[in-house]
Amino acid sequence: MSPRALALVLVAALTGPFDIELFPTSTAPAVEGAARLVYAASPFGIATTVDGRSRYDVQITASHLPPPRSLGSYSGYVAWEVATDLSAWRRLGTVRNGRSTVGSITLNKFLLVVTVEEDTLGNSHVGPVILRGNSPSGWLQSFITHPLFRNAN
Amino acid sequence: MDVGSRLAAALLLASMASGAAAQMPMSHDMDQMSMGEMAMPIPMPKGMKMLPGLVGLTPPVTAFMPGNGVDPMTLPAARPSTVRRLADGDTLDLTAMLVRRMVRGRAFVMYGFNGQVPGPLIRVPQDATITVRFHNRIDLPSSVHWHGVRLDNRFDGVPGTTQAPVPLGGDFVYRVHFPDAGIYWYHPHVREDIEQPMGLFGNMLVDSPDSGYYSRVNREEVLVLDDLLANGDSLIPFGREGPDFALMGRLGNVQLVNGEPDYATHVPAGSVVRFFLTNVASSRTYNLSFGGAPIKVVASDVSRFEHEEMVPSVVLAPAERYVVEVCFPAAGRYSIVNAVQAINHYVGEFDAEVDTLGTIVVDPAPARPDYAGEFATLRTNAAVAREIDHYRQWFDRPPDRIFRLTVRPQGLPLATVQFMSIDTAYYAPVEWTDGMPEMNWLSTSKQVTWIIRDSTTGRENMAIDWHVPQGSVVKLRIFNDPKSFHPMQHPIHLHGQRMLVVARDGVPAPNLAWKDTVVIPVGSTVDLLIDASNPGDWMLHCHIAEHLGSGMMTVLHVDPVSGAPRP
Repeated sequence: MSPRALALVLVAALTGPFDIELFPTSTAPAVEGAARLVYAASPFGIATTVDGRSRYDVQITASHLPPPRSLGSYSGYVAWEVATDLSAWRRLGTVRNGRSTVGSITLNKFLLVVTVEEDTLGNSHVGPVILRGNSPSGWLQSFITHPLFRNAN
Repeated sequence: MDVGSRLAAALLLASMASGAAAQMPMSHDMDQMSMGEMAMPIPMPKGMKMLPGLVGLTPPVTAFMPGNGVDPMTLPAARPSTVRRLADGDTLDLTAMLVRRMVRGRAFVMYGFNGQVPGPLIRVPQDATITVRFHNRIDLPSSVHWHGVRLDNRFDGVPGTTQAPVPLGGDFVYRVHFPDAGIYWYHPHVREDIEQPMGLFGNMLVDSPDSGYYSRVNREEVLVLDDLLANGDSLIPFGREGPDFALMGRLGNVQLVNGEPDYATHVPAGSVVRFFLTNVASSRTYNLSFGGAPIKVVASDVSRFEHEEMVPSVVLAPAERYVVEVCFPAAGRYSIVNAVQAINHYVGEFDAEVDTLGTIVVDPAPARPDYAGEFATLRTNAAVAREIDHYRQWFDRPPDRIFRLTVRPQGLPLATVQFMSIDTAYYAPVEWTDGMPEMNWLSTSKQVTWIIRDSTTGRENMAIDWHVPQGSVVKLRIFNDPKSFHPMQHPIHLHGQRMLVVARDGVPAPNLAWKDTVVIPVGSTVDLLIDASNPGDWMLHCHIAEHLGSGMMTVLHVDPVSGAPRP
């Protein structure tokens, strides 16, 4: 088994249905991050939309985020819920070093992206991507395209 | 399974899947096949293929259906539930008996209490004590468990713990005391996987002496949600020696409200209706809504909430109850729907699934009186909060016990083991539907042991030795292990006591109600605060009937303390 395949398997084995590994980009390669999905408050314990999608708040834990100004004319970091085909980006909230709770997620599968922005309250993303990951449900794939089947000898 | 084995299994499965494509070009949607063509009598979701390694297999149990060959036409037709109002000291005769019910146009031998499905609605005032003379006239041993009621332990209805099973033709006398207002239900505690879906369930509605306990409404409706598993016009048999469908429980494809597939009622425009909802299904968790009509949740298992909330839908796990009020503002038809996100494990996608369970027809004539204004007001139930205040001192203390929920397979078909080893790369927090029907059907309690494991002692299920003195307030943490062979949500029920779900995944719950059943999604941790005031030996178990039948139970022994208050 290749190291990459082994790493993928370990990620699948070690993370729960609520955990998201966030990976840095070349813009700020020292940044580290992870996220956890927490059911939004609900009298039923399990929060859903009327059509049955889970409603989660997102807890993002980040470290080594540099001062935004050190990356350009930016003022802060923003988390986005992004459709898997990149067709829709929805602002979740601002992110800082330490734990930031943003929310609320309602897509079955999604990408979680953190960008650095000049306007942290805007509803469209302009700045570069700093962290990215995908929902745990991203592991739910056709077997023919599943990461577990790639790079395996 | 280690990483290498997991990959090897995945690769083997991939080769099997590609082989399947060559060997099975036809759709295996069982609804489109006649019985004679079936290698496996399990309906498969459209577009989903059976794994070739499972074709031709059957569960290693003897098929069982109620009646042992009795002609259903010789039996009385099941009747709808009727209300039995009982006062303190009254007596009720309750007979479990064979009845005739129609499913998809065909008559079947099934069960009912007093010939009714659901059984009689027992309506009593709070603090009443009634006597129930139970008569078992079905073809299995049975008993009656009074779900959620903090009654005398001798009458809890659990064979092996509080009584012997009531044999065929036998009788048992229960004395049932109702200390709490709300909606409760009764059902057997013997082979729940058979006796419940075949019709042995009913409600108790306990009225508070406080006339303002709930808001004023135009109508009250008691709705019991249930399902049956059929293929065409045949019901899927049960396992005689033990449950089949042991992995996920039996999720039906015939949706029933109050035992019928076509529930409907009429109300005037602007009506506010209070629904008392009970999920008696073996395994299905519902996400219920009312055609876009606004929903207010006011109470759950054993009490009202601290404050009322508007909700988009009602999530109802097996055995849970919720009391909701719904306002139907304008004339029209409002469908009661269960809308969920099914998972197609084979292609790795979510599929929206909507089942219509019934219809509320709203007639044009306006409702009188008009309670729309009262409906719009969200009440704070100060009495509930005040009572809970006494328990807040224990909310943040370390848990007294930590249980881990997991599963141990033994001897399942190879193809099932191979599939599960790769499929569990992702596990949904809640399985709303049966995405693996043939694997599920083939798993029995002989091959699957569902486990409650004490994290301190390592003891499992009935081997756990758990004693607390009467009057204790016990903090129990339960973790639903996502790394097990087949992770799944578990609705955990504690008999004879009441509990608060004080936190989920470390997040304090902002709005509490006393509960007796709590659903724990995969990977989640719940912190429960148990008011252990009722002495006796009380079951704690998963209320997915097939999980219970596969061992997922333990006992909380509340040791009597002289002079300690009891419910």
